[in-house]
This record gives sequence, structure tokens and C-alpha cells, in this order.
Amino acid sequence: MSTKKKADLKVIILGDYNVGKTSLICRYIDGTFRPKDPTVGAAFFLKQWGPHNVAVWDTAGDERYSGLSHFYCRGAGAAILAFDLNSSQTFESLWARFGSILEAANEDCLKVVVGTKMDLLDQSNRDITPEEGKKLARELNEHLDFKKMPHEPYFETSSLTNQNVDEVFQFIFQYCLPLSAEQKKKYGKGSVIDLIENSDEHKSTRRCC
Amino acid sequence: MSIKAFELVSAIERVKLMSDKAKTQIECLDVCGKNMYIGTSDCFVVHYSIEEKTQSNGRVTFITEKQGHKFLLVKKPVVQLRGASALNRIMVLCDNTLTLLNMFDLEPIVTGAKVKGVVCFCINENPLRTNPFSVEICVALKKKVIQLYTVTEDRLIHLRDVNVPDLPLSLGVDGIFVCAALTSQYCMIDMDGGHITELFPIDSEQIHPVIKRISKEEFLLSGPSALGIFATSAGVSQRPPMQWSDRLTAVCFVHPYILAMNDEFITVHSILDQQQKQAIPFQGGVFLGDFDGRIFVASGREIYSLVPIPFEKQIQALLADKRVTEALDLARNANKTGMSRDKFLKMFKTIQQQAAFIEFSRQQFDEASQLFKESSIDVREIICLYPHYLPAHSNFTRSVPPLHEIADINQLSKSDENLKAAYKDFLKTFLEEIKGTNFALGYKREVDVALLKLYAELMPEKLSELISVDTGCDLGDCVEWLEKYNRLHALGLLYQRHGESDKALGVWTRLVDSQTSDPSFPGLDFVVDFLANLTDHELLWKYVDWILEKDEELGVRIFTDRPTSEAQSERLRPEMVIDYLHRFPKAIITYLEYLIFQRKLEKEKYHTHLAVLYLEDVLKLMESNNVKKEELDIARSKLRHMLQMSNLYRVQLILGKAKEKDMHAECAILYGKLEEHDKALRILVHKLKDYGAAENYCQLNSQGKEPGYRKRLYHVLLSVYLDPSYERRDTLVAPAIALLNSSVADFDTLKVLHLLPDNWSIGLLSQFLTRAMRMGMHNYRMTRIQRMMARGENLLVKQNFIEMQREAIVMNDEKTCAVCNRAFNDSTFVRYPNGVITHVHCAKNKYVCPVSGKLFSVGKR
Ligand SMILES: Nc1nc2c(ncn2[C@@H]2O[C@H](COP(=O)(O)OP(=O)(O)OP(=O)(O)O)[C@@H](O)[C@H]2O)c(=O)[nH]1
Ligand SMILES: [Mg+2]
Repeated sequence: MSTKKKADLKVIILGDYNVGKTSLICRYIDGTFRPKDPTVGAAFFLKQWGPHNVAVWDTAGDERYSGLSHFYCRGAGAAILAFDLNSSQTFESLWARFGSILEAANEDCLKVVVGTKMDLLDQSNRDITPEEGKKLARELNEHLDFKKMPHEPYFETSSLTNQNVDEVFQFIFQYCLPLSAEQKKKYGKGSVIDLIENSDEHKSTRRCC
Repeated sequence: MSIKAFELVSAIERVKLMSDKAKTQIECLDVCGKNMYIGTSDCFVVHYSIEEKTQSNGRVTFITEKQGHKFLLVKKPVVQLRGASALNRIMVLCDNTLTLLNMFDLEPIVTGAKVKGVVCFCINENPLRTNPFSVEICVALKKKVIQLYTVTEDRLIHLRDVNVPDLPLSLGVDGIFVCAALTSQYCMIDMDGGHITELFPIDSEQIHPVIKRISKEEFLLSGPSALGIFATSAGVSQRPPMQWSDRLTAVCFVHPYILAMNDEFITVHSILDQQQKQAIPFQGGVFLGDFDGRIFVASGREIYSLVPIPFEKQIQALLADKRVTEALDLARNANKTGMSRDKFLKMFKTIQQQAAFIEFSRQQFDEASQLFKESSIDVREIICLYPHYLPAHSNFTRSVPPLHEIADINQLSKSDENLKAAYKDFLKTFLEEIKGTNFALGYKREVDVALLKLYAELMPEKLSELISVDTGCDLGDCVEWLEKYNRLHALGLLYQRHGESDKALGVWTRLVDSQTSDPSFPGLDFVVDFLANLTDHELLWKYVDWILEKDEELGVRIFTDRPTSEAQSERLRPEMVIDYLHRFPKAIITYLEYLIFQRKLEKEKYHTHLAVLYLEDVLKLMESNNVKKEELDIARSKLRHMLQMSNLYRVQLILGKAKEKDMHAECAILYGKLEEHDKALRILVHKLKDYGAAENYCQLNSQGKEPGYRKRLYHVLLSVYLDPSYERRDTLVAPAIALLNSSVADFDTLKVLHLLPDNWSIGLLSQFLTRAMRMGMHNYRMTRIQRMMARGENLLVKQNFIEMQREAIVMNDEKTCAVCNRAFNDSTFVRYPNGVITHVHCAKNKYVCPVSGKLFSVGKR
């Protein structure tokens, strides 16, 4: 079935409605910025990164879909927590709402805090400072080893001007991929149906004789 | 975007139910092979036979006949009913009790095979055990328990239990995993360990929970906001959700379509792109199900089938709507419908080609190009859309049935020139891409001819390469085309390529004469090169005149730049060429130079001829007044070089002329050739006063001669210097001394001494004399050393000889040859230094002993 490719990594994007989640993903995948209808339920994109397939799940921010978002989080190896840099309420929501939703994700899930619509931001009059953003990013990722990251998992982006968009995804992929053997074993049966490991095994048995 | 994927066909128009009371309603049904079972709201199970007939026009009809019925006594609706043909049973859920009936007579099985308190049940299509005579089912109980059973002919064998936190409303099962809708959520239950994974919450007041297993370990669930949500047994989703309509009551699945029913419509969605494809109005539907790929749907009293429109038809409909991506998606999935692989591939290619032409007509050139390639289209199908681009006599006809409705690109571009240019550009790019690949196999001519025509029109600079490198272009209509676009040089090349040298030359002469500019034409040089390499010498002569008249210096290259490997031919014999070239003074000189200096032909005639021509040149220059000195110098030095270098020309002939014109330098050379050195040197010394040249003369003329000759020559020069009859001999004392002291010159000292005037002082001569003395001394000593060494050598040889002869050898009949062991019957024999004696013919190598292999030194010791 054409849409059902096996993915190595599942990335999910969460955040209040209208913060620009779909726009962020489209900017990354298609390289375009177009007006989007609010997402209904969820949407799904596949991205090739080197030899890896990455499934990127877009969710709907509307509260009606919280239950579904929880479901779609299952098996996620990385989550983008998006908020609108111009709206402190959307930043609050990350604390209030999405922390718990992410319980369904993998326990070592990388959480990247991403501020959107940077182009609209009046730098001299910011509601949320980068320090606050980084603080949240650190707290959310307490379980992870920061030494493996080039910097805190915090980004300020604009899908309109294509600022920092690629960097978010590069950061995630570089951190998460390739999966460790342990991760493969642990999550291998979930969303992450692992073609690669199987094929590896296949190859090595062939090679040894 | 809609498509007609299914057609609603009546199966049983009005079910003859047991009581005609209006409220008797269909509740559920099942189809097993040719049997259809219907459960009613008033507790009847009705059995029909049902058979599908396809009429000649492709329409499907159903023939049904009632087989029997059974009243189940409890007066409650029959909620669920499933046949198990392997067991000859049907499972019936009525009044919360699950029981078995005989499949044929509908009699209950009374062996206690019964479960009570059941909300719903479903069959495990991916059973844990593969016993063909049992069926596995999953049952949801009111007491919040989910159970697995194995059903046999007369028993229900309980396998497993799992408690759930809420009342289960609906079920799906796959292997050991049960997907259940509880009143507040969907969950996935691992029946092995009893582990429950929550999927997502629902409000069962608002939505009717529906669970449909769509493939191994994957279910489709009805979710909030009319979303259809996919979930795997692992509790995750691998596809985005699908938008449905509200108030959904049932769902079924026939690859690649999902059909969803609410009380007004049945909607058809593709699992490929999650989009709705068709909406079929259907009022009051109560049941919808798929049975081995067949879909039946029931309203209260009627039963219909949703007959799939054949894939081909659906795809063609999509293509007619120009919905290419959908058509291709659908086509790709058609091989899952049991079509043979070959047939599928054939169909798929045709569809790709149709799609390609649609993209083509929409100027989606990248897509078109890719599809054309993937479907390995006959490239002529594309070329033929461009009027006149196929070779004129191509017998190609477009494929039937047609792949498209395009007449040609003129029609597509509607006389918009930009568009037309874009189409041509596409063709150019496409053909360039496939040229030389497998794809163009067998169509080389068509591809190259089309490219030629395109280039002629649009980019003439590419023509030469196309024509010169292994071209498939024939003459045919290409000639006409190139003429039309005035690409004459390319036309010449094409003729050349096809061996029509005469025609090619015809075109080029035309090009040169008409002075029309063809930027790709390199000019007359090109024609000359061509002729210089032309093997047809007869034809060559046809154009020689024309070229030489235009430019003799260039033209003569026809004769001088011939390929080295060329065989000599009568038509290009040097005499013939020389005769012909008489008219062209420059050309003939070049040609003779070529014969003499390059081909090194040693014929007196050529050499004399060239010398004479050089001389004439010089004379002409000398006669005319306003000639630059350098020009004359060059001409004379050429002449002198010739005179000096060659020994073959007739010296006297030239000498006469040279003397007449007082050309002293030349005369000197000529006298030299005649060995009249005295004369030559006198000219050099007296006339030209060029003493350096005089010394040089001696050296040059004594080259390769014995030392005596050399000495004599220098002596002559010295005599000239010292000639007492010469009135200005004082001026020659200095050069004479210089000569005597020169390290190059060589003299017979005695003779020199005789020659020297008595009045010269010793001081003047001291250098010469010292050198002469030393030289004499040196020679004397060298000779003595040589003599002594020769004597020594002679003694050594003698000693050797004596040593070898010292021992006598007695030869008698008993002596045999050491090599062949035969007797000597001849007086000659060979004796090796170590005493081995052999026949003369047995001594293969006098330095190696044939017996011991001992080496005897080659040298003297
Ligand atoms: N100026 C600006 N506008 C943006 C940017 N990103 C998104 N928007 C706008 O914000 C609005 C919401 O964008 P979406 O991408 O649909 O937001 P969403 O988070 O996907 O919303 P839901 O799907 O409803 O959860 C749209 O009108 C976008 O045009 C941005 O970087 N700059
Ligand atoms: Mg969105």
C-alpha cells in the first residue's frame, strides 16, 4: 500500500491550533509556504534522510483532538513542541497540555521546543524570551544527555522566510539517527517497523559464509 | 474528485419475510459462497441462494431463490449472523445469546454450544491455529469481559478471557490482538497477557463505534469529527486519518476502497490517497458488509450489491478526467486484483502512456518525460505529433486503440508560438536524453532524423555533431529539410556521411560561390581538407581548378596534405600534378618543396625544377625595383639552401644563370658542388670577403670526407689567402693567420710551410707552429704506443698457439668422437683446450666443451 512505508523514526509535531505546525512541516518537506486550512485530526509525511525513512506526523492543535494527538504520539522518537512566538498563551499550553500528551511517546523521546512566526516578532517587545524557551526545553529533556546535542533543543523559526526550519529537522535527525540497537529492539515492534535491521541481519548471514 | 468505482445493483428486491407486518426489518446478513443468510428484526433467519451473472453488456445481475427460514422463538431481533461453511454452521447472535444453526436446514445445534450475555462477536480471520475444521471467534460480554473461542461443528471451546474496564460495544480481532470499542474509548487488547493499550477516547453517545479489520494487524476505526482512524495491533497509526461523513453506521473494505455508510449515503474512499472518490445516495441503510470481495448492503427490506466497476474502466474514466496521479495509483494497485503479472504490466504500461500524453498536452513535461520513459513508449508515437518530423516514408501508424486524442502540436499550441517552441524544446530534450540508450533501440533513424529537423530549425550549431557522429539520419527528406532551412554545410556533411562526395562538394562549392553565410561552415580550408583526404582521385580533379583559381596556396594542400597511408595512384603521379600546376607559380613551388623536402624524392628533374623556380623568383625580384631587401634575402637564402642541400640538380644550368647575374654566394655553392673549390673560395674571399663563410665552406664540403680531403680543402683556402697574384693580398694576412690558428682547420704542416711567404715573422706563426709541433709529437708517440701494444698482442697469441700445439694427439681407429661416439673417418677433427676431441660437425660451439660444458674464455686469455 503506497502510503504505508516503513519508517525508522517517527517525529510528531504538537502545539496549539494556528501556531503554524502544518506550515512548518510543509516548508521543510515541500519548500513552500502556502495558506493552510486547520488540520483535521492529523496528517502524515514521509521524508528520506540519507538511508533513513522518517515519518513526520502533523497533528491538529484544536483541543477537540487532544485524545487523538495522544494516540498519534505513540512510538514517537522525537517531538516538536511548537508555539507562536507572538502569543504567550501558546507557550503556556506547552506546559499545560502537551507535556501529558507526550506520555505516549517513547521514553527517550527528544522534545524540541520551536517558536514559530519569528518574522512577525517585534524583538524589542517579546513576551517569551529565548531563555524561557531554552529553560522549558531543558526541563522537558531532563532524561536526555545534553552533551550529545550541539545546543539546547530550542529554535525560533519562520516558515514564511524559511528561517531555521531545516535546522530543526537536522537537529532532530542528527540526534536520533541512526537508532541504537537497543532502541531498535525496544521500539522495533511499534510504529517503527524496522526494515533496516532485518535487511542488515540478512546481509550479515549471507556474508559470513 | 469523484470517480465511479462501484455500481449499486439490486440483489433481492423485496425480501419475502415471514410476516408481512410492516415492522419486519432486515437486521443483518451474511453471504457464504452461493448462500445468503438474513437475520430479521422479528427473530427469523432466512436462507437464500444467490448467484451472480454477468450479461453480455457487462452488467451484473443476481438470481436469488429462497431456500428456507427459521423462527428462533425469542421474538428478539437477530443482531448478528455469520456463516462458517467449513463447519456447515451459522453463528447467530439473538437476545444476547450466541448459538449455532445448521447451515442447510437452519436447525439449532443443541449440544450446548451456546454463550450467554453477548454484546457482539466477530470472526478471527487471522486465527491462532490453522485447523480448517474450526473457526476462531472473539466475543464481547456484557459483564465487561472479552473472550476468545474456537468453534467446532457442535461446540464452542473457550480459549481466553480478558477483563475490560468498560462495556465493550464493538470488536475486531486479528491473531492474538483484539481491538475493542468501549463506551469511552477504543483500546487494543493483547489477549495473551491481557495488556490493554488505550488508543483514543470517544464519546459513544455521539459516534457509533465501528471497527473494521483491513489487513493483517491493522484496523480502521471511526473516530471523532467523522474521522476514520487507522491503528495497528501495536497501538499506533501508520496512515493519516481519513475524512468521513457524520453518523457513520458501517464500514467495509475492498482493496483499495473503503466504503462507509450513514443513513443517507454510502461513500467510497481510497486507501491510497485517503480521499473520497464516490458518494452513492442510499436511504435507510441498516447493514453493509464485504464477503470475499463482494459487497452487500441492505436497507430495511431490500438487499443490493455494490458491484465494482472494472479497474480498467475506472482508470479510463480517471484518465478521461485527466486525473493522472489517481489513475496511476489505482492502476498500480490493480495487480492486487488477481490479474496475471504479464497482463498487468501490459495494462499498466498502456495507462502510463495515456497518462504521459495527458501530461504532455498539459505541458507537464517532466512528468510526461518520465512516464514516456517508464512505459517504454514507441518514440514514434511522440515524434508523429510533430508534423513532418518523422522520416517522410515512415510507415508508422499510431497505436490502436489510440493513446490520446491529440492531433498534433499545432492543435495543442493553438498557434501560440511560445507554446509551440516549448513543445519542440521538449522533443529535443527528450530525444537527446534517449539517444543511444536502449530506449531508442530500433528507432535510431527516427530519433536522429527528428533531431536533425529540430536542430535545422532551432540550433544549427548542433547539426555537425549529430551528422558526424554515427548518425542515423538518411538522405531522404533530410536533404530537403536542410535545403529549406539553408543549412548547406550540414547538408554537405550529410552527403559526405553517406559517401556522396560529389554531391557534398557540389553543396560546398555552392556555399562558397554564393557567399551566403552559414556560420557553421569553416570555409574553403574545410573543402581543401576534404579533398586532401578524398580517396576518389578522379573526383578530386573535378574541383581542383575551382579551388586553385580561388587560392592557389591553399589549393595546393590538396596535393601536399595527403594522408600518409594513401596508396599511390596514377591520377596523382607527381609528374601529372607538376604538369597541371604549371599555371600556378606559387602552388608548383610548394608542391615541389613537398616532393623534395617532405617525401624526399630523389629525382634530378624535381630538384632542378625547384632550383630553377627559386632562381627565377630571385631574378624576378632583382629585376623589379621597389623590392624590399629582406624579401630578396629570403628568396636568395631559400635558393642557397636548396643549392647547398641537394646534390641532384643540374649545376651547370644554374651556374650559367648565377654567373650572369653576379650571384656570388650562389656561385660559390655551385662551384663547391662541382668540386671546383678554388673557384668557389676565391669568390668567397675576393668577391664576398666573407672569410667566415669561406671557412665554413671548407668545413661543410669536407664533411664525411677522409682527412686528406679536408686538409686539401683548407690548404686551398690558405692558398687563396696567400695568393701573391692578388693585388690586395695584404688584407688577407689576418684571415690567413686566423685560419692557421683555427682549431677547426686542419693542415698538412709541411705543405703550409712551403706556402708561407718567407718574410713572415716567427712570432706571427708561433701559435701555429707550436700547435703543429705538438701535434706531430703527439702523433708520433701515439703511433709508437700502438705499435708496441700490437707487438705485445702478437706475442700472447703466439704463446697460446704454442701451448695448444704442445701435446700431440694420436688419432687411430679406436678414437671416437666425444659427442656422437662414432669413429673418425676423416682427417679433420676438433680439439677443445681441455683435450676433448670431436667431429668438426659435432662441435657446435667452440667456446663450450660439449662434454663437460666448461666455458673457454672468448677473449685472449
Ligand atoms: N507570518 C507568518 N505566518 C505564519 C507562519 N507560519 C504559519 N503562519 C500562518 O499561521 C496560520 C496557521 O498556520 P497553520 O500551519 O495552519 O497552523 P497549525 O498549527 O497547523 O494549525 P492547526 O492545524 O489548526 O493546529 C496560517 O494562516 C499561516 O499562514 C510564519 O512563520 N509566519
Ligand atoms: Mg495544521
